[in-house]
Amino acid sequence: MVNPKTPSQNSPHLPRKKMEEDRVLSSVHSTVFKESESLEGKCDKIEGYDFNQGVNYPKLLRSMLTTGFQASNLGEAIDVVNQMLDWRLADETTVPEDCSEEEKDPSYRESVKCKIFLGFTSNLVSSGVRDTIRYLVQHHMVDVIVTTTGGVEEDLIKCLAPTFKGDFSLPGAYLRSKGLNRIGNLLVPNDNYCKFEDWIIPIFDQMLKEQKEENVLWTPSKLLARLGKEINNESSYLYWAYKMNIPVFCPGLTDGSLGDMLYFHSFRTSGLVIDVVQDIRAMNGEAVHATPRKTGMIILGGGLPKHHICNANMMRNGADYAVFINTGQEFDGSDSGARPDEAVSWGKIRGSAKTVKVYCDATIAFPLLVAETFASKRTKP
Amino acid sequence: MSDEEHHFESSDAGASKTYPQQAGNIRKGGHIVIKGRPCKVVEVSTSKTGKHGHAKCHFVAIDIFTAKKLEDIVPSSHNCDVPHVNRIDYQLIDISENGFVSLLTDSGGTKDDLKLPTDDNLSALMKSGFEEGKDVVVSVMSSMGEEQICAVKEVGGGK
Repeated sequence: MVNPKTPSQNSPHLPRKKMEEDRVLSSVHSTVFKESESLEGKCDKIEGYDFNQGVNYPKLLRSMLTTGFQASNLGEAIDVVNQMLDWRLADETTVPEDCSEEEKDPSYRESVKCKIFLGFTSNLVSSGVRDTIRYLVQHHMVDVIVTTTGGVEEDLIKCLAPTFKGDFSLPGAYLRSKGLNRIGNLLVPNDNYCKFEDWIIPIFDQMLKEQKEENVLWTPSKLLARLGKEINNESSYLYWAYKMNIPVFCPGLTDGSLGDMLYFHSFRTSGLVIDVVQDIRAMNGEAVHATPRKTGMIILGGGLPKHHICNANMMRNGADYAVFINTGQEFDGSDSGARPDEAVSWGKIRGSAKTVKVYCDATIAFPLLVAETFASKRTKP
Repeated sequence: MSDEEHHFESSDAGASKTYPQQAGNIRKGGHIVIKGRPCKVVEVSTSKTGKHGHAKCHFVAIDIFTAKKLEDIVPSSHNCDVPHVNRIDYQLIDISENGFVSLLTDSGGTKDDLKLPTDDNLSALMKSGFEEGKDVVVSVMSSMGEEQICAVKEVGGGK
């Protein structure tokens, strides 16, 4: 620390006013340049990607961790997801006394992995993120899916007719007159929904028949498995969920075009029953009976999928890993904008859990995250 | 002859009871078949093609015999069944103790298979007019094999 020489040492004959000024100056100096704690070795240094090494995408993505702000959050989210993927029961060194013989067997413990819940909102399925989701489901990289009705029908409709790129600024009344529906800067023609209606109504007829003749009691997840089977198209994540036996939960099934179809179908031939009670048993069961596996949540967006997954994990005293990617803010008290720490207060996430929230549109963050986690692990020899 | 056959006696054998019409062309005041019942349309609203699929017509209608309200939603390009509804006037000849009425047909014969209408006002009007010796003419509405007295007129003086 450098102290400026006090004037009195040099020149005892300085006027009093100058001495006063110097004293104030030295006090301000020591306030502004307050002695700081060294962060060396405690915190990571901020360092961005150096393009002088060329355009190397994996290195570019890895540099995000030390770039700061949401890039760092994304980097941390990548870390947490990789931890989810790497964890094995064998990593837990304390073996409880009361566990079964099987659970004590080391090779069994090596095989037990983290159970991953994936949740997303319907706008993401309208976007190209649907194809990233399809990749994860196709290779059984997630265990349970929760989404909204739009998150289901947009995937099915894309197999019948495409969604197009438009613009946020296209005027609503003009679009209505052209029979075009806007989702952000995407456009879905009305005709796509007509095709969906033509495709799904006969399936409902058949399902009603099976309900009456074979006593099948349909639930949203059973219905979605059936639709995945019927669409029979490899570009659909619902198709792969059916093939891989991954349950897709959609407790709000009536809130979308699919719900409109159920409504109209009930006029033509009434009686189709869809039981949500069975599904809440199944969903919560996925969390409750996950033990000895750890559970991890990857949630894109807010709303119903976010809460439904967190709530189910509350039933097992909290998830062990949580990654939220959304643009919600907590100042309005909404659940959509709530940070993982709020969920900890509810017991939806464990106090000891590894959690990250990335404040980012998932169309940017999620494909990059998958590139550095699921996809790179799969392509490694 | 058993009771059940009475309903179909008066229909022409071979003539169809309904005819098809495009849902988009059925208006308020027209007729439509909903769940097999002949109904009069009291409300039509059309929703344009959209997220719910093809354009649809929402019908609210009243069963012409039971006055129950029925609803249906049909794609507007779909065909619906429209019932033939006929009204024929007959003169009242007799009201029997078990509630059946005897009517004079055009050809001079009698039609005895109809009961008094379930509507109390109509029924009372028929009975009082008949007892006073007035000429009572009833309108019989028939559709899809079912018949019912739907209106009563007193014609002519009494004793």
